[in-house]
Amino acid sequence: MSTVSAQSGGDDPPEPNPDVKSRQVREPDYRFTLANERTFLAWMRTALALLAGGVAVLYLVPLDWGGPVRLLVGLCLTILALVVACWAPLRWTRVQRAMRREEPLPTSLLPLFTTVALAGVILVVLVGPLL
Amino acid sequence: MSGSRAGGEDPGLQAERTLLSWQRTVASLVVVAALYLRDPGVLVVAGTHRQVDGRLLVVGLLLAAAGVLIAVLRVRWRRTRHGVLDHRTGAPPAPLAPPWLIVAVSGIVVGLGVAVLADVGLGWTGVPP
Repeated sequence: MSTVSAQSGGDDPPEPNPDVKSRQVREPDYRFTLANERTFLAWMRTALALLAGGVAVLYLVPLDWGGPVRLLVGLCLTILALVVACWAPLRWTRVQRAMRREEPLPTSLLPLFTTVALAGVILVVLVGPLL
Repeated sequence: MSGSRAGGEDPGLQAERTLLSWQRTVASLVVVAALYLRDPGVLVVAGTHRQVDGRLLVVGLLLAAAGVLIAVLRVRWRRTRHGVLDHRTGAPPAPLAPPWLIVAVSGIVVGLGVAVLADVGLGWTGVPP
């Protein structure tokens, strides 16, 4: 009992030093890495869906909207798709790095940004044709 | 024997789910490319329309890239005994695709988006004047 408390010393958890060091850059459990990869791919498909929406509004769907509203909505969707497609690999890298170092996963503004931007596009779709 | 088998298992089929996720993504890519091409009838007279040629080039490059993507994934999938064991690390392959492929697929989507923007900017076709 006394030897254990003497070894562990202060407030630090009784963790052998070399083990702590090797844990700092260890590859995470492969399941977490694969989950991160699938999340990235889901973002890619989100970007592709936004792009499909942009192409549809710009060229494919016969709409009675005025030219400027149509152009605005189509361009916004396309640009949003571009932002998501550029952002997703950065997020994948950050999450991967954090998992390797066993740090807390970084929060990202990407979901919030996508939500707000999409809400804006929907607002334009609702209000735009009335103007 | 049973030990090596236990090491080769994939609880929850994580690798297979990831492969399916890749396949869904590539399928979406092909669908969006088809939407971008948008007028199959014009393909008949391809070569006479500069605008269509530009789009055909983009879609051709995109399909070639998607083909390379699928091929790389297939080779890696077979080499790792269907996503179970990567011989270089002795663990299941993670990530399933090599990291450069993850950057590449993002680049492909960005390229398609830029092509759509360029289409609008150059006023190639489509938007009624």
